Amino acid sequence: MKIVVTVKLVPDPNAEKRIDPSTKRLVRTGVETVLNPYDEYALEAALQLKEKAGGDTTVTVFSMAPESLKETLRKALAMGADDAVLLSDAGLEGSDVWATSYAISHALKKVGFDLLIVGGLSDDGSTGATPGALAEYLQTPLVTNVRKAEIADGKLRLERETDTGYQDVVAPMPSVITTALTFGEPRYASLKGIMGAKKKTIAAMSLGDLGLDQPVGQAGSKTELLAANPPAVRGKGQVVEAADGAQGAQAIFDFLKERKLV
Amino acid sequence: MQNVLVYVQHKGGQTPKVTFEMATKARELADKLGGKAHAVVVGKGSTQLAEQLKAYPLDVIHVNDDADVDTFLLDPVIDYIAGAAKAIGPSLVLVPNTLTGKDVAGRLVARLNAGICADATDFKIEGGRVEAVMPKMGGAAITTCALRSGDYGVVTIRPNAFAAAAGGAGAAVQPIEKPAGGSYAVTIENDVEEGTGELALEEAPVVVAGGRGLGGPDPFDTLLKPLAKELGGTVGASRAAADAGWVPYSLQIGQTGKTVSPNLYIAVGISGAIQHKVGMRSSGTIVAINKDGQAPISEFSDLTVVGDAFAIVPELTKLIAASKS
Ligand SMILES: Cc1cc2nc3c(=O)[nH]c(=O)nc-3n(C[C@H](O)[C@H](O)[C@H](O)COP(=O)(O)OP(=O)(O)OC[C@H]3O[C@@H](n4cnc5c(N)ncnc54)[C@H](O)[C@@H]3O)c2cc1C
Ligand SMILES: Nc1ncnc2c1ncn2[C@@H]1O[C@H](COP(=O)(O)O)[C@@H](O)[C@H]1O
Repeated sequence: MKIVVTVKLVPDPNAEKRIDPSTKRLVRTGVETVLNPYDEYALEAALQLKEKAGGDTTVTVFSMAPESLKETLRKALAMGADDAVLLSDAGLEGSDVWATSYAISHALKKVGFDLLIVGGLSDDGSTGATPGALAEYLQTPLVTNVRKAEIADGKLRLERETDTGYQDVVAPMPSVITTALTFGEPRYASLKGIMGAKKKTIAAMSLGDLGLDQPVGQAGSKTELLAANPPAVRGKGQVVEAADGAQGAQAIFDFLKERKLV
Repeated sequence: MQNVLVYVQHKGGQTPKVTFEMATKARELADKLGGKAHAVVVGKGSTQLAEQLKAYPLDVIHVNDDADVDTFLLDPVIDYIAGAAKAIGPSLVLVPNTLTGKDVAGRLVARLNAGICADATDFKIEGGRVEAVMPKMGGAAITTCALRSGDYGVVTIRPNAFAAAAGGAGAAVQPIEKPAGGSYAVTIENDVEEGTGELALEEAPVVVAGGRGLGGPDPFDTLLKPLAKELGGTVGASRAAADAGWVPYSLQIGQTGKTVSPNLYIAVGISGAIQHKVGMRSSGTIVAINKDGQAPISEFSDLTVVGDAFAIVPELTKLIAASKS
């Protein structure tokens, strides 16, 4: 079985971020690039399924990112993925969700898979729309927010979180799934994993390999980013020392009353 | 892009509040674009829900009680919406920014070759072009994204961002035909509602959130719940509280949890780590109750009361209760 996991490379979610309104871009100085957190969970799910299935099951990570970020992908290999594919091309720069999904789906058709695991949400784009768009372009069934997965008789038995509870569903193979954060905490790369990752291959793909009919990149995108501004500054408000519970409660009550919140 | 089409997410006729917020906004957008406001409601209980929706200013509500929607995962829904969208031509499709909504939006992006702007909290219409305003990167940037007028556009709507207001002349409720040739791949074997009877976190106008400072699971029930109830809100938590097993992960707010923007957010025993902040910083008013006057949360709270939560919260609950009678 061939499991492919999509991994986006994103600015460190834990860094305080600042936007430069003139370039509409994030100020990257001092902000590291890391694996998108949701995709680490997706990779963890893939590695667990591989361990369970055994045999000749492999895990390939796939990313669309500038070539210069190639080494960041090694972390996924250090966690245990067998190999990686990196789709890079200057012509992909500025791609929106539509263009990204369109390009990635064509690349994944070439890569091939029995199971595709996509992260639920990217930290920088945060549309959560990529999985659905990929599944649709790949004409492959989609099951999102999976917290438990079992493969039996060539079928996927999945437990997935919904807005109001959970569902048990059965899906054929190949399918596209996304993982919920409850699937399991991503593992740390072991020292052995880190050493081993240096020898694993990261295959390169470019636009020429895809044979796309429609333009991608900024020109082909269906949305245009008009502005990116820092939010209105939320200043430090009042700080009130409460001598006892009653006094603290009164301070809050008065404040809420003033703002017509009670 | 003149017409607006709303996807109505529901289960057995039960729909989240954001549906009514979208129906209200759809009217305004359709008027500005010079088109009509449509909604698609499919699955068991749709007819009954359409009656309720009629109170909102839509033009046409397309309805089918098709039980396949409840048996097969999402495929039938996508066929219905795409069918309705194609029938009315390049349009603006509004979808709630919920788990299901994200799936619907993503699939429509490919099915309709559409642009998408996600998690919108505001709109502008400039020269017939739709622009959506969205906080990104945990609120570190407020972005404006424009959709191409000649194409379909999908916008996911953040719950609680727009007001819901009944009104209008009453929509026409029309049956929508089942699209032919659908192939439904994923079957739902078991569908469990875990309705706690509480408001959904993302939709609650008031969130009272607890953190490690509460020291255990009980204060969530005995301290926070009564306060939330008095304020007409619900209870949330920091990751530290969820990790400790004091509350389910579904209550976690922050980078790896839910994003909320209630009118009022009360943080009790929460230090205000960046990963927590990104999930709540767009709240209307933020009040912190913390033992430590130097806690980072005080840097972005409108009011920080320095003191013991166990002493303050019950008194506050009493004050609010008393003010009502
Ligand atoms: C990748 C990653 C993702 C993360 N995602 C999230 C996320 O989504 N959401 C999230 O919340 N965190 C997240 N975190 C964790 C985050 O960094 C913090 O560890 C967490 O938010 C701390 O929770 P806390 O404020 O409840 O606890 P603490 O930081 O321990 O703060 C407890 C506070 O309670 C106060 N206190 C103690 N006793 C009392 C009392 N009796 N009365 C009043 N105040 C009292 C203390 O002064 C202190 O300020 C993430 C971390 C990482 C690395
Ligand atoms: N450039 C990319 N390369 C690889 N995977 C991606 C890329 N963009 C998005 N994805 C995948 O799509 C998921 C959802 O992203 P988004 O729709 O941007 O929230 C991510 O968690 C990734 O798994």
